[in-house]
Amino acid sequence: MKTRIGLAVAGVGVGLWGLWLLLSALELPALIRLPIWLGGAVVADDFFLVPLTVGVGWLFVRWSAGPDRHRTVGAVRTTLLYVGITSLIAVPLLLRQGKGTNSTVLARDYLRDWLLLEATIIVTGIAGYFFTLRRSRASSGDIGGR
Amino acid sequence: MKLPAPPTEKSFPSPLHHPRVATVIGRWLAVAVTICFLTGLYSHFAQDTPSWLPIPSRPASLYRVTQGLHVLSGTVAVPLLLAKLWTVYPKLFAKPPWPPSRKALATMLERASILVLVSAMALELFIGFINTLQWYPWPFPFRQTHYALAWIIVGALLVHLAVKLPLIRANWRRTAEKVPDSLPPAITGLTRRGLFRTVAGAATLVGITSVGQSVPAFGPVAVLAPRKPNIGPQGLPVNRTAEAAGVTGIDENWRFMITGPQQLSYALDELRALPQSRSELPIACVEGWSQGARWEGIRIRDLLELSGAPAHSRVRVVSMEKGGFYATSELPPDFAADPLTLLALRLNGGELALDHGFPARVIAPNRPGVLQSKWVHRLEVIS
Repeated sequence: MKTRIGLAVAGVGVGLWGLWLLLSALELPALIRLPIWLGGAVVADDFFLVPLTVGVGWLFVRWSAGPDRHRTVGAVRTTLLYVGITSLIAVPLLLRQGKGTNSTVLARDYLRDWLLLEATIIVTGIAGYFFTLRRSRASSGDIGGR
Repeated sequence: MKLPAPPTEKSFPSPLHHPRVATVIGRWLAVAVTICFLTGLYSHFAQDTPSWLPIPSRPASLYRVTQGLHVLSGTVAVPLLLAKLWTVYPKLFAKPPWPPSRKALATMLERASILVLVSAMALELFIGFINTLQWYPWPFPFRQTHYALAWIIVGALLVHLAVKLPLIRANWRRTAEKVPDSLPPAITGLTRRGLFRTVAGAATLVGITSVGQSVPAFGPVAVLAPRKPNIGPQGLPVNRTAEAAGVTGIDENWRFMITGPQQLSYALDELRALPQSRSELPIACVEGWSQGARWEGIRIRDLLELSGAPAHSRVRVVSMEKGGFYATSELPPDFAADPLTLLALRLNGGELALDHGFPARVIAPNRPGVLQSKWVHRLEVIS
């Protein structure tokens, strides 16, 4: 219990220090708008990104219960997730393509690179699927592939 | 028509919404947050050094490593945070405690602390990443907000740990895993181990495709990074161009001055005639990108000696740039005395490009790029 009280007291102290830093460094208009951005961050996470993942997961589980889907399910799930997370991080780069403050910022062709990255993830997913398929067939003696 | 009932904590059947999963992913996230916080603190103090804190000039690449790690750990924390939020998502729909009691109050306080934690962390990671693109679409100052939010996050995290400590302890080691009857995990459902592997894989993938802005070997695959370390004049990226700084070049009357015990003044050709030294030093920026380079110029300590000042002097560096926070910077005594610290005139075998600070710039080991003043025309010995 002592550890928990110590952690809580330290946490409140450190948090208040952060709040004080915020109050002393930001002007009033910025301080008023910051909570809107904080709220927006929660909405983006808890009411968009996570529900999207939960929803896709739910559809996916329903789909995967179909006949013969068990062979592809792992590869499809991992591929979808990796495509999703890399695309999420690519969004600001794609939006700001060509709008860098100078020619050395955002100097790549991000659309091409993003498409290449997603294509690589998908191809790797397919390769992984065939690899596990062969391995599971070999281990179960089902070499004929029927 | 009746609207569907809102979800409750029981609406999420996956057995992966489990404290053991939250504990494991929480540990990974804690590692990322700790690295990010400590390296961020270091960067803050390297830029804004309080008088009581001596920052050493060696190892020369320390800031390159810490700031690369800062941006890397922050970027990798994005998939980890999302995975953590996914795991505990059903808790969002837990019934608010009723009727009021001491326990209900404690629950509400705990939820408030989690709201602070999640909102601050999500915004911190977002503005941190967007800052690496040098894009500032928000109505508050980046550096001050990013710094203050970091402390708020650490505070809220400590409170969160205090609340969850018994649960964390109970799930620190592997616990029995409930397997759903209808979907044997061997066929469709994801096991915990499978989830951990997938999340670790996502974090690794994000790391590999973004770390190349600080580790040139990974530059070609840095498709999720805003910088490629070798793109720019003389193979080096630029943060602030001469045009943005309002510097157009120099005329034939240009002179470089040192104000110390003796006042000295040099034309550019006279600077070139002084004994030249070479340093291999990186430019490492707060946005996480860095690139090593070969610099040639006059050691600052040699210039100090010529003006009759001791090598360990505090030196104000004055740039020709107009406006901006860093038209002047200060070299602390350890940096001024370091034999690697130069008033550089040449970069990678050629004369400095205007965007890299022609005719002269300061380059010192273990310093944030923003303090490596360009277009320098005066050094003032302060003490």
